[in-house]
Amino acid sequence: MGCVSPSWDGTLSPKDFSVAAHVFTERWERNKSASPSWFWVNSPKGPPLLASSQHVEGYLSLESMCVLVSAEDSNEESCAVEEEAGFCEIEGAADNATLVQSKHHEAHYYDFHIVYSSSFRVPVLYFRAYCSDGRPLLLNDIEKDLPACSSKVLLETKWSFITLEEHPFLNRPWYKLHPCGTSEWMKLLCLGDEVAAKNGLAIELYLVSWFSVVGQVVGLKTPLEMVKSQRN
Amino acid sequence: MATDSLSSARKVIVQLKATADAPILKQNKFKIHGTDKFAKVIDFVCRQVHRETVFVYINSAFSPNPDELVIDLFNVSFCSS
Repeated sequence: MGCVSPSWDGTLSPKDFSVAAHVFTERWERNKSASPSWFWVNSPKGPPLLASSQHVEGYLSLESMCVLVSAEDSNEESCAVEEEAGFCEIEGAADNATLVQSKHHEAHYYDFHIVYSSSFRVPVLYFRAYCSDGRPLLLNDIEKDLPACSSKVLLETKWSFITLEEHPFLNRPWYKLHPCGTSEWMKLLCLGDEVAAKNGLAIELYLVSWFSVVGQVVGLKTPLEMVKSQRN
Repeated sequence: MATDSLSSARKVIVQLKATADAPILKQNKFKIHGTDKFAKVIDFVCRQVHRETVFVYINSAFSPNPDELVIDLFNVSFCSS
């Protein structure tokens, strides 16, 4: 795999996307973070009307990431634990394995897909959200789940906004983070520094860098270990 | 952005480099506690350049989550460069 040249435009070829996706999942896995794993989904059909050279046969997927939604945040949680502890003392034996149903907490599940966009030549983050009973969440519900900083960012910056679009592989409506600014900020990120530009950023780390930015918008953290060793 | 550290104290020197249309700062090195969060760096840069939002990233490789600790970021960048 090559490195980016100073004249690089911030985009990724379909072949590089597959390679970068492989490196990305490997690093995510190696880090063994608490969240679910990314895996590659082979889908030879793909979006129609594309020449085979422009075609990526699959996408990256991370599914059923659980987000606990609480009325207030951590304060309430610790409060609930205390109450529970008090209850145990009175009742004597309590089964720790029982599920504590709390009205304050509702589980929201998120599915994320990273799909290559042939028109923008960059990765695009698709996602959908649903409740534990399978009910899909609407955008305004999703926005409440997003980290406070990102909802602010979504309002203010032009490169990150969420639209509802057809998933190119599944042909179902999914939300996506619009990729129109991606190549510009990736170029900025990778070539901003003259030293780094000279050394060149390995293209296989494109997705790691890309995800460190995009993941923040939806509250997915990039583990620091993933960026640790630039080259193995 | 580049990070350096003082060997004795647990403080990190943050070196800021402007890219694109960001204004170049007169003073580009700042000392910050390692135990502070990266959000503090972002806030600081926002105030310095008088912008509502800034895009801050490290070693031209990644943009950390605002709640990462500066010392952790320093350790990571140090290993990579």
